[in-house]
Amino acid sequence: MSQPLLEIKNLSVNYGAIEALQDINLVVHEGEIVTLIGANGAGKSTTLKAISRLVNSAWGQILYDGREVTRLPPHQVVQLGIAHSPEGRRVLSQQTVLANLELGAYTRSDRLGIKADIEHQFLTFPRLAERRNQLAGTLSGGEQQMLAIARAVLSRPRLLLLDEPSLGLAPQIVQEIFSVIRHLRQSGTTILLVEQNANLALRTADRVYILEAGRLTLTSAAVELLRDERVRKAYLG
Amino acid sequence: MQASFLFNHGHHSIFTAILNGLSIGSVYAIFALGYTLVFSILGIINFAHGAIFTLGAYFSYTLTGGAFGFNGLLANASLPIHLPFLFALVLGSILAGIASVIVERLAFRPLRKRGADPLLTLVSSLGAAVVIVNVIQYLVGSEIYTFPSDIYGRLPASINFGTVERPIAIRTVQIVIFSVSALIVSILTYFINFTRFGKALQAVSEDAITASLLGINTEKFITFTFFLSGFLAGLAGTLVGSSVSIAGPYFGIAFGLKGLGVIVLGGLGNIPGAVLGGLVIGLAEAFVPADYSGYKEAIAFALLFMMLLVRPQGLLGRSVIQKV
Repeated sequence: MSQPLLEIKNLSVNYGAIEALQDINLVVHEGEIVTLIGANGAGKSTTLKAISRLVNSAWGQILYDGREVTRLPPHQVVQLGIAHSPEGRRVLSQQTVLANLELGAYTRSDRLGIKADIEHQFLTFPRLAERRNQLAGTLSGGEQQMLAIARAVLSRPRLLLLDEPSLGLAPQIVQEIFSVIRHLRQSGTTILLVEQNANLALRTADRVYILEAGRLTLTSAAVELLRDERVRKAYLG
Repeated sequence: MQASFLFNHGHHSIFTAILNGLSIGSVYAIFALGYTLVFSILGIINFAHGAIFTLGAYFSYTLTGGAFGFNGLLANASLPIHLPFLFALVLGSILAGIASVIVERLAFRPLRKRGADPLLTLVSSLGAAVVIVNVIQYLVGSEIYTFPSDIYGRLPASINFGTVERPIAIRTVQIVIFSVSALIVSILTYFINFTRFGKALQAVSEDAITASLLGINTEKFITFTFFLSGFLAGLAGTLVGSSVSIAGPYFGIAFGLKGLGVIVLGGLGNIPGAVLGGLVIGLAEAFVPADYSGYKEAIAFALLFMMLLVRPQGLLGRSVIQKV
C-alpha cells in the first residue's frame, strides 16, 4: 500500500506520573474511516490530542503525509490539513453559530469558497441554518455536536479527528451525525473516529483499533470484529 | 438632595462638569480597556499596566523634545528632535506598546509555559511594575515634568461653549482627550466585533485551546494583545500627562488602581463595561465640588463599593466572565 496519511510510531504520553499512552502504533490510510474504541480513560482522546498537539508526547513520532508533526504548535497542524472536533464539542458559546463556522475556516483565505462551504454545511445540518445568528451556547447538545463537526470540516481537512460524536445524544441525532460522517468519507475526507459506542463505530469504520489502559491490544478490519464473539462480549454487550 | 446639589452649581457649571467628566472618564476608559484586553485573554490582571502608562508619558514627553531635570542618569539631556504633540503621542504610545510586549515576554510567558498559577503571574507583573518605576527614577529622577504649553500649536488654550456674558470655557486639552479617546474606542469596537482578526481574538479570549484547534496562533494574539494594551496605556499616560503634568515615576500607580476600579465597576473582561465604567467614574469625580477635590478618589471608590454591593458582577458583567 502507498504511504499512509497518518502514521503514529511508538507514541507515549504522560500526564505527570500517569502514563496515558504507552507505545502506540497506528496507521490511517487516505480515504479510510478508522475507529479507536475502548473504555473510558483508555487513552482514546489523548491519542487525538497528541495528533493535534494539545498534549506533548513524551516519546515517539507522528507522521502526517510523510511529514513529522510531533513538535509543531497546534495551529500549524491545522494548516497542514488536520481538523479536530474535540471532546466535549467546545463550541465558542459566546459567538454565533455563523461566527463559529467562519472561525472554522480561519486558515483559509478564499472568501467565496468559505461562503459556499458554510451554505453547504447549512444544507447538511438544517438545524444550524435555522439558528445561524443564535449564540452557540444556547444550542442543544446535538446541535452543538453538529456545529463542532461542521466547524472542523470548514477548514477543508484531509484528515478529520472526531472525538465521541455520539456522546449524550438522542439516537435519532446520532443516526443523523453518523450519516454525515459516511458522506464526508465519500467526498474524500479521511476520518479517525474515537467512539464509546463500539457497535456504531464498527458499523461505520473500515478498520478498528482497541485501546485498553493506554495500550493498543487489537487491530482488525471492522467487519471481522463485529463477528468476533470475544469483542462482542467485551464491547458490544 | 442630589437636585439641590446640582442647582447650587448653576447650569453652565453642570455643563462644564459633564464635559470635564466625559474627558477624564474617556481616558479612564482607554486605560481600563488595556487592562480588560489582557484580562479577557489570560484571565490575569496585569499590574505593570500603570507603569506602562507612566512610561508612555515619559516617551511622548521626550519625543516632543522635552528636557530632563537635574537628577538621574539622563540629567539635562533631551532629544535633538521636537516632534509635534500628536506625532509624539502616537509614537510614544507605540513605544509603550513595545515595552508591554517585553513585559509579557519576561514576566508572563515563562510562567505560562510552565503552567504556573495565575496568582504567581500577578506577582511577577507587580515585580515588572516596580522595575519599570525604578528604572525611570534612575534615568530621569523623580521630578515633575510638564509638557510645553503650546503643544496644540495655534489652537487656543480653551474654547468658550457659552456666550460672552455667560462663558462655559472648556480647556482645549480636554476636548483633544475626549476626541482621541472616543476615536480609539470606536476603532477598537469595530475592530473587535467586525473583523476576522477581532473574532479570532474573541475566540482566543473565550477558549484558547479551541482557538488553536481552529488554526489560530494563540501566542501571536497574546503578543498583539499586550501591544494593544500597552499602546492604550501609553495614550492614556500621555494625555493625562499633557493635561496636568507627569508627576514623577509613581505617576501611574494611583491611576492604575483607579483603572482597576473602572474594570471592576464595568465588569471584568467586558469591553463595553470598561468604557462605561470609565465614564461613570470620570463623571462622578467631576461632580465632586472643588472644595472637596482632595476626596475625589475616595468618593469614586465609595461609589464603586456601593455599586458592587448591588451588582457584584459589575455594571455590564454577567455572573460568569463575559467577553466583548
